Amino acid sequence: MISLIKYEFIRKYKLVSMILITILALNLLLLTKGAGGSMLFLVVSLSALFVFYLVDIIKMYSDDLNKKTGYMLFMTPNSGYKIIWAKLLAAIIEGAGLVLIYFIFILINGAYIVVSMGDQIDYSQIVRGVNQLLSGTFGFNLGHVLVLLIAVLAFLIAFITTVYTAMTIRKSIFSEIKFGGLFSFIIFLLINWLLSLVTDKFHDIMTPYYDSINAVSNAGNISAGGLALILLPIISVFIIQAIVLTGFSGYLLEKKINL
Amino acid sequence: MEFNNNIPIYLQVIDKIKQDIVSGKLKPGDKMPSSREYSYELGINFNTVARVYKELENEQILFTKRGLGTFITESREQIEDLRYRMAKNLIVSFIEGMKQLGYSKKDMIKFIEIENNNIERIE
Amino acid sequence: MSGLIINELTKKYYNKIALRNVSLNFEQGKIYGLLGPNGSGKTTLMKVVAGLHKQTSGHVLINDQVLSYKTKSYVSYMSTENYLYSSFKVVDILKFYKDMYKDFRYDYALNLLNDINVKLDYKVSNLSSGETAKLKTVIALSRDTDIYLLDEPLNGVDVLARDTIMDIIAKSYGENKIIIISTHLVSEIEKVLDTVVFLKEGAVELFFDAEELRQERQMSVEGIYKEVFGND
Repeated sequence: MISLIKYEFIRKYKLVSMILITILALNLLLLTKGAGGSMLFLVVSLSALFVFYLVDIIKMYSDDLNKKTGYMLFMTPNSGYKIIWAKLLAAIIEGAGLVLIYFIFILINGAYIVVSMGDQIDYSQIVRGVNQLLSGTFGFNLGHVLVLLIAVLAFLIAFITTVYTAMTIRKSIFSEIKFGGLFSFIIFLLINWLLSLVTDKFHDIMTPYYDSINAVSNAGNISAGGLALILLPIISVFIIQAIVLTGFSGYLLEKKINL
Repeated sequence: MEFNNNIPIYLQVIDKIKQDIVSGKLKPGDKMPSSREYSYELGINFNTVARVYKELENEQILFTKRGLGTFITESREQIEDLRYRMAKNLIVSFIEGMKQLGYSKKDMIKFIEIENNNIERIE
Repeated sequence: MSGLIINELTKKYYNKIALRNVSLNFEQGKIYGLLGPNGSGKTTLMKVVAGLHKQTSGHVLINDQVLSYKTKSYVSYMSTENYLYSSFKVVDILKFYKDMYKDFRYDYALNLLNDINVKLDYKVSNLSSGETAKLKTVIALSRDTDIYLLDEPLNGVDVLARDTIMDIIAKSYGENKIIIISTHLVSEIEKVLDTVVFLKEGAVELFFDAEELRQERQMSVEGIYKEVFGND
């Protein structure tokens, strides 16, 4: 398993390094434009990382399924389950890594904004400093940001597993029929539609839970912990979804794959 | 060694070994390479070489000493016998071929003498 | 009982039948030639045994085990296609194999590649087609395993390199190993083969000892191939 995850990263380290260096360069460039530049950077880089992450994770698996280089992976004596779980774990690690990097960019740019506004910042207390800035300006702090990023990551990963499943179906049960690609895409839409139904239903069921949280916190003013509690159910749904779909993809890879 | 793919390869290798023994290239008691080595050398299938060794052992031209390898027979008689048999095959083919061409025994012998002299003169 | 047993193997795609009820028994300690024109099913057969394609029906037993991810460790498959990670250096490919396969002989591969002048720090994408062929062959044969499936190992390889590759293949012979080579270039490999298998349109046309064939038909395997398949 470790080897599989290791090679997932070895295969992409050049690309990831390039992206990170580009983003760093962008940051340095935008820093010259003052506080506004910093904020612009944070928005742009978030979108860029978002897109890059999705494309990268999906493309890696797509290449393994569709290109001949996929033989390297699929000739190894690893079960389909192991292969797909390794990919999921690698995706989680990469996502967490990107969240961390983005977080560091927030700190750097946040500190820069503080300084550019003329205030002093104690670099050993950089987190607190940035927190004060955020709470003062926007009403939320780094804790909220982190919780939100984690929720977004969970969503992305869950979404990715629906793509994985559709692609796996394409290369297994629909591999030998005409219009297999079309059918797989339809299945992909179906899965996502079904999941949205499930989550809607889930939210309905969870209403008492949300109400109870609202009752406890001040109206309109939730702590980071409170936010975490609110998002916890939906994040759990994402996690369960990811696990179930990955298990199913693993089953298909193991029993039905046709490269 | 070049092979003719139209004839069983093992027969060609057997012939070659016999030729080499009779011509003295391979001496009595010489050690033959292992089957594996020989198959690399010749670029042929291992089992073919194994078969060659087995057949030649049956003919008592090669013999195996357990753990030591395969060797050419040391028996001069065997080798002489082999030489005789090979020569006889040649002669029988020659006679039959010449008969087909319409040569009588007397003419065959005369022909041999003439050609032999020619060859000796060149050498 | 060990070896490779293929029983009534059928593989259908939506627009064609690649293998029809193929039954074959491969014994250890032999080198087999899997011969036939393009589209006769040779590659499909190998891919099923290698676990890359699932059969439509029929059974395959490797060392008495049904095909599964575990049997992949008994099979070393060399595909005709470019399947090596192109951004990897040659030595990185070796390391990958070492990490993924317990039976991979890393030093053996390294030395062999050095002997045949394949530069270890070259990127796969920068190798010539001859060098790629050599690399793929070396990697496949550097695994110390039971079954070797070599699909057209001499394809796109210049005449000199062919000798090298044939040499490597011949040296890989082992009494517990099964080597199956598929090729068009029959005349070049026939003297290395124990048994020839002719596949015609997905079915077994012939399964015969090469020497017996020569004895009986007084023809080379290539000659018989041309008879069976026409000039291919």
